[in-house]
Amino acid sequence: MRSQALLLLVAVSAIAADHESLLIQNVTIHPVTSAEIKGGSVLIVDGKIAAIGTKLSARGAKVFDGKGLDLYPGLINAGSNVGLSEISSIRDTVDIDEIGVFNPQLKAEVAFNPSSEHVQIVRAAGITTVLSLPSSRGEEFSPASAVDAPILPGQGALMHLNGWTWEEMALKRGAALDMLFPIIPSVPRREQTIGGPPQRTYSELEREYKVKLEQIANFFEDARRYAHAKAAGEPDFQPDPKLEAMIPVIEGRRPILVRAGKERAIRDAIEFAEKEKVRIIIADPHDIGSTAELLAKHGIPVVLGETLTLPLKEDDAYDSQYALPGQLFKAGVKFCFGTFDVEFARNLPFQAAAASAFGLPPQDALKAVTINAAEIFGVADQIGSIEKGKLADLILTDGDPLEATTSIKAEFIVGKPVNLESRHTRLYEKWNARP
Amino acid sequence: MKRLCGLFFVCALAAMLRAEPPSSFAIRDARVVTVSGSELAKATVLVKDGMIVDVGPNLAIPADAWVIDGSGLTVYPGFINALSTWGIPEVAPAAGAASRATAAPAATPQPAATPQPRVRGPEDRPQNNSYERAADLVKPTDHRLEGIRAIGFTTSATFPNRGILAGQGALIDLAGDQGADMVVAQPIGEQINLRTGGFRSGFPGSLMGVISYVRQLYLDLDQYQQAKSIYAAHVSGTPRPEYDHYLEGLAEAPRILLPADQAQQIDRMTSFAQELKRPAVLYGMHEAFLRIDALKQANLPLLVNLHWPEKAREADPTDVPSLRELEMRANAPAVPALLTKAGVHFAFYSEGADSAADIRKQLKRAIDGGLPRADAIRALTLSAAEVYGLSDRVGSIDKGKIANLVVTKGEPFEEKTTVEYVFVDGKLFKPSKVPPASPAGERGRN
Repeated sequence: MRSQALLLLVAVSAIAADHESLLIQNVTIHPVTSAEIKGGSVLIVDGKIAAIGTKLSARGAKVFDGKGLDLYPGLINAGSNVGLSEISSIRDTVDIDEIGVFNPQLKAEVAFNPSSEHVQIVRAAGITTVLSLPSSRGEEFSPASAVDAPILPGQGALMHLNGWTWEEMALKRGAALDMLFPIIPSVPRREQTIGGPPQRTYSELEREYKVKLEQIANFFEDARRYAHAKAAGEPDFQPDPKLEAMIPVIEGRRPILVRAGKERAIRDAIEFAEKEKVRIIIADPHDIGSTAELLAKHGIPVVLGETLTLPLKEDDAYDSQYALPGQLFKAGVKFCFGTFDVEFARNLPFQAAAASAFGLPPQDALKAVTINAAEIFGVADQIGSIEKGKLADLILTDGDPLEATTSIKAEFIVGKPVNLESRHTRLYEKWNARP
Repeated sequence: MKRLCGLFFVCALAAMLRAEPPSSFAIRDARVVTVSGSELAKATVLVKDGMIVDVGPNLAIPADAWVIDGSGLTVYPGFINALSTWGIPEVAPAAGAASRATAAPAATPQPAATPQPRVRGPEDRPQNNSYERAADLVKPTDHRLEGIRAIGFTTSATFPNRGILAGQGALIDLAGDQGADMVVAQPIGEQINLRTGGFRSGFPGSLMGVISYVRQLYLDLDQYQQAKSIYAAHVSGTPRPEYDHYLEGLAEAPRILLPADQAQQIDRMTSFAQELKRPAVLYGMHEAFLRIDALKQANLPLLVNLHWPEKAREADPTDVPSLRELEMRANAPAVPALLTKAGVHFAFYSEGADSAADIRKQLKRAIDGGLPRADAIRALTLSAAEVYGLSDRVGSIDKGKIANLVVTKGEPFEEKTTVEYVFVDGKLFKPSKVPPASPAGERGRN
């Protein structure tokens, strides 16, 4: 089986080398946005899908025989640190979590390492695009309650997982402004800790929280005044990269990806968005409480984080996290999936797959990792489904890509076939060959 | 020279006599709850020079005794708090700290807050104050003492309670001219806390680490003592074992106090106590309602924390307590009743609840939870003395014991009951004459 796949790849590479158009035929097309087409063909010209049908002619195009396999759009991981962090425990390889409270001018795409091992590993799982974010999960690892904790760590970028340079790989620069919404940390029970800094009371923490919310409001107010001054051409106008980066945000062109894990943060983030009139996306929520309806009412989309995880609280149902996607679906919230890390970014399909066993219809699970993500980040005209005119981000599989047993047989990013080898396959080969 | 000495002695004695308050008392015609024996409906208690001289009906009253008419009053042994920091002023919450949020750090025991050098492992003995003696730290100036005496507490098993190996306790009486006067017995045990500093706080950062650290210390102690005895037998030519301040502290303590609040902790500490092969006392017991049979079988002395779990005064309104927490809040006050019913002896202690009003309320909840009043009194007196093996000197009204007595009008810890007299080491206090507890802040400033 493996050697067959390798042969396929060799064939594909030969075709792509000197032709701009490619006809993938004899496949079952799953466009996601419409019904599947059995025995279909897809014509790719200059990296874009030129035609979809059952009887396509391929004048001048190289033909790629899909041998009856399934063709899906490439999956999208809508929250990760791919390309910015290599080994999270080795500081020198980690280029996230810049120091400073407000850094909206930082751009993830610029720091993206095209040669990261993770690029190959993640795309081998059928993921063709990732949203790379300039910050780790905040709440868990660096106390978002600390006075100097980052709030706006920078802009995330949608990156294609194939290319020689970051410029080539960037699908959408500044796709969203990352935001770590302040939290009120829970006060541990007295017996649990000893030594260390003295414990603070809830009212003290709440006061600090409010100070931070005010700090945020002030920063947005500064940005608005800066934009006015710039538009009015004030004579003593001083350019400021931080505030400059806020202009698309306050004009509603760049959404804010708000990391809000708990109900209070979600409610406060929604209130914040209403007040500042900015577009937000809630990211990595785990304890949404009764906010699903509120999110639906405000039309605020969600990027779910790791849902294959344990319940947050002792009394939560065992499946409280698994069922979260289904819960959002029923409430009518548009959502997609991310992993908010780098090591497990490849597990994205399984998050969606598990969700479909806990209340999320399978076709919607697939949408969540394809078209929904594209819509949420404003790139649905380019990726997320197999439609004419979109970029040819395609995966050829021997079954449903959300099934753990399915393997990816071939993959195309912007029409180019990609090598599915990775550090994982290399290690597999190495140890398999051990005498 | 001899004459000079004699003269000096006479002068000193005269001075003492002049300064000393009366030392002989007779409480006449009172109901006497001896705790050790049966209740005496109408009896006399004679006190002289800090000791109970006699107790019984129809006793002859010495001519020099101050006579207290006990009709309508009840005499109990002085109450004992079986585990506290009472008497150690440094540990007492700073006066008025609770009301001023800015002064929050004051409640933390001091050494815990001072940064320690980098800890590599158990060999660096982190959070180890095993050598610290409560007996050296107690002072009558602790501002908590006055209020506590006013509800009938005369004695406390006081521990420094700092760090994991939290120091050596002493049984103290809650009055005296200076710290040394207060000490009844020392050392009475080593308190162990199983708390962690959390992730990245250095060794031991996890519960597993703390337990293995304590285990290692006691293994080290065995080895240390062996090495010392070998050295003692063969001094000549043997390299001397290195002196270990921290193990000396552990070696001194006749028993260890292990924290066991929740059911799982009770299981864990019961087996840990067996493993350490040392006399152990378990303290906490809020979830003991799930482990009554196991505790009966384990047959370890128990200290029940009167500070019943309740909703934190300053809780995050969005934090929903777990079912287990709610169950514990509801059932913990019934633990004393359940233990009594099962025939398990225990003593009470009041962790953190230092105000008279708090303690009265908490005891009332235990009684309302089904604990017979007589058993509540026993848990506060003789049982506490028994836990520390000191029932030969405190805990009951018997001839020859230390004169720690409470004289009340009404049943103790009831709202309307007044504490008329308290004797600590035979010294009389009249709590009802003391104005009701003023805010701690004002007392603290004196």
